[in-house]
Order: sequence, then C-alpha cells, then structure tokens
Amino acid sequence: MTAWATLRRALPMAWRSLIRQPARASLGILGVAAVGALLLDMLLLSEGLIVSMRDLLARTGYDVRVTATEDLPRNGPRLRDVQATLSAIARLPQVRGALAVRFADAAVALPHDATLDASLEGVTGNAPHPWHVLRGRDVREPGEAVINESIATGSGAGPGAALMLRADCGVGTEALPPARLQIVGVAEFPFALTNENTIGATLGTVMAACGADGADQADVILVTSADDADAAVAAIKAVRSDLGAATNEQVLGRIQRTGFTYFQQISSVLTTITVSFALLLIAVLLTVSVNQRLGEIAALRALGFSRGRVVADVLCESALIVAMGGVLSLPIGAALATVLDRILKRMPGIPAELHFFVFQPTALTLHMALLAATAVLAALYPMHIVARLPIAATLRDQVAE
Amino acid sequence: MTFATSTRALLVSAIVFVAGATVTRAQPSSLPSVVISRHLAEARQLSIGSTIRVSTDRAGRRTREFTVVGIYEPTPNPSRLGSPDLEVRFHLPDLLDLTRDPATLAGSEAIDGINVALMDPADTQAFARDVNARLPGVDARPASAASGSAGPFIVLRRFHLAIAAVTIGAATVFLLALTIMLVEERRETVGVLRLIGLPARRILLQVLLEGVMVAAAGAAFGLLLALASERLINRFFQWKYDTALVFVRITPDVALTCVAIAIPLGAAATVIASWALLRRNALRLARR
Repeated sequence: MTAWATLRRALPMAWRSLIRQPARASLGILGVAAVGALLLDMLLLSEGLIVSMRDLLARTGYDVRVTATEDLPRNGPRLRDVQATLSAIARLPQVRGALAVRFADAAVALPHDATLDASLEGVTGNAPHPWHVLRGRDVREPGEAVINESIATGSGAGPGAALMLRADCGVGTEALPPARLQIVGVAEFPFALTNENTIGATLGTVMAACGADGADQADVILVTSADDADAAVAAIKAVRSDLGAATNEQVLGRIQRTGFTYFQQISSVLTTITVSFALLLIAVLLTVSVNQRLGEIAALRALGFSRGRVVADVLCESALIVAMGGVLSLPIGAALATVLDRILKRMPGIPAELHFFVFQPTALTLHMALLAATAVLAALYPMHIVARLPIAATLRDQVAE
Repeated sequence: MTFATSTRALLVSAIVFVAGATVTRAQPSSLPSVVISRHLAEARQLSIGSTIRVSTDRAGRRTREFTVVGIYEPTPNPSRLGSPDLEVRFHLPDLLDLTRDPATLAGSEAIDGINVALMDPADTQAFARDVNARLPGVDARPASAASGSAGPFIVLRRFHLAIAAVTIGAATVFLLALTIMLVEERRETVGVLRLIGLPARRILLQVLLEGVMVAAAGAAFGLLLALASERLINRFFQWKYDTALVFVRITPDVALTCVAIAIPLGAAATVIASWALLRRNALRLARR
C-alpha cells in the first residue's frame, strides 16, 4: 500500500479520535487559529509597507523623483532655481512630463478667530497634478486652490468659497500677511496624512503666500519618464549631477533600508516565535494525547493495524488540528490585521492611504507552508512513540492496571 | 526647554547632514573646528586632527575646510535604524557661513531652535509662558513636550501591547487544553479522593495551590529565559545596525506585569479544567 493510500485510510480514524474529545480538539484548533492569525499578520507586515508604498508611488503616475540631496522630500534642503531646473529636466527626450512641488504649512482662518492647521502644496510643470479632483474643477490660475475633504468639512468651505490663510514656509515667515485663495474644487491627495488638511495650488500661489521666503524653490520635482525610468534618471544626472534623482524602486530601496527596517525585524522575530510556539504546543498536545491512548493503539496493532497505519493516524490527527486551525486563522488574521493597521496608522507622518498589513498571495502560500511544516514536525515525537510501542508489554500493563 | 524662533543666530552647536564631504589629511591649523560622529569617522577613516572639506551641494561648490577636534557617539535614534549617522557638528556661526544664501545678509539667518537650561528646572512651564507672552512669533515649550518622537513610541507601545494580548490569548487556549488533558489523566485519583470523603472544595483548593506553584515556576523560568535572551538580542541587533540603541530591556515593571498575568492565568486554567471534573459523580470518576 502506498503512503498516500495509508494516509487516506488513516484520515477518518484521526477525525474520529478528534471528535471523541471535542473540548480538547476545539481548544487545540482554537490555539492554532490564534497562533496562525498572528503568523499571517506578521507575514503580511514583513512586506506590507513596501507593497503599499510601491502601490501608492505607482498610483500617482510619476516614476522618477528629483530632490536636492538623497533625502526624501521635506527631509532635506529644497531645490533652488526651480524654474530653470524644471525646464532643463522637461526638455530631456527621456522625460514625458515634470512637475515641481513645494510644500508649506498654513493656518487657515476660520470664523471667530479660530484657525485650522493645513498643509499647502504648490505645483508647476507639464505633468498631471498630484491630486485627484472629486468635485468642482482643478486649479488653472494663480490664486485658485483645491482642498481635501478634511478641510472642506473642517472649514465648511467648498468650490466657489474663499479661503484666508497664513503660510509658514519654514524660514522666518511668521510675520507673513494672510493670503486669499479661491476654492475651485475638492480633491483627494494620495500622500495626505490621516485627518490632514491639505490645500493644492499652483507654485506661484504658494510662492506668493510665502513672500520672499524661498522664492523659486521646490521640495521635489516629480517626473514621468517617456518609457524607461532608469534612462530618465541617467539623463537627469547627466545634465544636473548636483541633484538627487531616483526611480520609485530606488526610493523604495532607501525607505526599506531605513524607516521600514523595524517592522521587517519585528515580523521576522515574531514569525519565528509564533511558529516555535505552535510547534511546541501541538507537539505537547499530541504527545499527551498519544500517551493517554497507548493501550488503545497497542490493541489496534494487535488487531492487525500496521505500524505505518498507526503512525499515519497520529500524523493525520496533527494535520487535521493544524489544517482546521489554519483555515480558522485566515478570517481571525484578517480582522486582527485591520485592528493592528489602525493602531500603527496613528503613527505621525504616515499617509492615510498607506497600509502596514497588505494581503499578498506569497504571504498566504508561506503561511500555509509554515503551518504544514509545523504539523509534520510537531507530530514527529508522538509518531516516534507510536512506532516504537511494544504491543505485548503495553497490553499487559493495561490489563494489570 | 526648547523654543523655535527665527531670531538672529546664537552661538550654539547645530547638526547638519552634509552632502559631499571629501577628506584630506593635514596638520592641525587655525581652521574652524568640528566634531564628527563615530559612524562618519569610520566610514571615511577620519581621526582627530583630520581636515575635512565640506560643501552643502553635491557638486562640491563653495567648499570650506574644517579640522576634526572630536569624535562622538551619536544619540541612538530608532527612526534612523539601519542608516548610519553621518553627522558633523559645527559652531553655529561656521554653519551659517557655510549654508548662507548669497542673497541673505549675515546675521539675518533663521535658526531652528534654542535650547535653554534653566537655573531651576521646576520653572519650565512658567518660563515658557513668559517667553511666549513677551516674544510674539516664538513658540517656547518644555523639552519634554517638544519631543516630536514621542508619538511613534506611543503607537509602537500600543502595537506591542496588542501583539502581547493576542499571544496571551493563544497561550491561554493552549494552557487550557493542556490542563484539561492533565486533569483527565488524574480522574481516577480524584474519584478515589472523593470516595474516601474529601470534599470537592478541598480538592479544588489543592488543585489551585498546585496550579499556582506550577504557574509560578513557569513564570520564573520565563523570566530567566527573557533575562538570558535580553543581552543576546541586544548584542545581535546592536551589531547588526551598528547602534548603541537598547532593543530589549526587562525592567522590574515588565517582570512584575508578566508574573501578575502568568500566575493568575495558570491557576485559573487549572481550576477551570478541574471544576468540570469535580462536578461529576465520584463513582464515575473512580470507574467503579
């Protein structure tokens, strides 16, 4: 009889062994489900941020980012002579479009002398704007602005209304006069933080709001390559070696090396711990269970069950516990991932659209493989006990008891 | 005490991440002095007395020379884990000379903040209020409130607590399964004890004490394991990331919390598992 046929015949017996002890089996399955859920979440976390960030970067449509240094936008010095730099980059044959973006903080005036903190984005160039208009229209002229839903709700303003704000452009600007912007639309900003109030306008509008501070400066130039992002980076570096140009993958690599390392480490550590934990506990459960049924197993052997058959019975029992726990762990893991994602997204500086736990087929495959390996490894010792069980001596002991 | 302002530059040290540092070795001279981080010293083989040429742009224009007079261990920063702290600390006037825009008049530059050490640290709140009232446009805050890194750590703490809660839940389920099996093994003993006249409450008390002792031994073993692995984990990650950051610290509070959770949980699992058994008929338990 082949091993597969032995396993198929052992499966119903293993099932009956489990349902004979429903409390014990249920607790074992529930335990595997809890550990499996944690394991799944850690596997989702290990690459979740990178996958989510890659998706976010790709969704914006730009595949090259140009900054003054290799720091991420808003973390390093600004680009100077931005109009000349933008023209030089946009003229390159490897570049389809380029858009300079300048960020500033702003305090939006509300009735009764109240203010609303907001983030101001000023753009100029021949590439699409880094926001998606939901209502109204996009900005066309200086003095016009689009706002996100958060600021529309907070200020009660919408398309057609005016917005008074005082910009804070980072360098000695607390005395700037207020600027008046005409709201022309409500837009969605992919990189907006959770509950962040964001205003989009032309670079000229932001420069005017910032006064003389940092005129003709931008934080980043977003580039859409003609067809090859690497070729566009090489071309930009050839004309402006003093600038930092990087493809989305290079930006992800930088982020992966620094900011996201912590989550990959904690994911590796917790994956190891949860697998070890599951292995140890299933092994203990099966060992105690087998020890309690030694007489029964010896009787089965005496009745003609082969050694391979009783060993397969233990393996199937382990596989059933882990398989049922594993299936149950998927919805529990998904629910837990939602809760943990919500907790981690409260971290400052995380875009609202970014997720820490992202479903990937590879994570699910790895989850299943790890649980399968756990089922086999956990069954090794109880299988060894059953395989080496002396039939006559065990039956004699049982009779004596 | 920290306050953000755009007033004239003061003579305090500042940190700058300099792009395009090139290295030459020279005899100590009258060049302005800087101190550099250990990571930068190791990365560029610099030592005290080295002369460095520093520029604020990648093309290396407008370079200035400085003498390294000290090497310091950078304050560990979890948010920069895996990224070496390549830092140079200047005297503020030197930094302003280096970074000043040609169109900006010397002395009119902005700085990010001023750190103030008060004669009496208890005066921080009053001092901050006073500065904010007297200097419009300046935001003075006690240093503890100015720490922008507090947010991520609070979030990470919540995340770790949530993970710990799930782990405890899984451990409890397994513990319950194990105790049910162990109690089942002793059903005949319990039946005999009941038949010779021991009341169920007395047996339950005995089981509870046994559970407490086993849980206490388990908790003690767990703590010893944690203490033994603490140094191992810290050394590994400090080596991996070349940082002095402490990753795991078993404080008395953490140890007490673990014991306070583990012992009642272990004892409760034992009692719950035994309770179902004790409610059965003594004759059935003894299989008579």
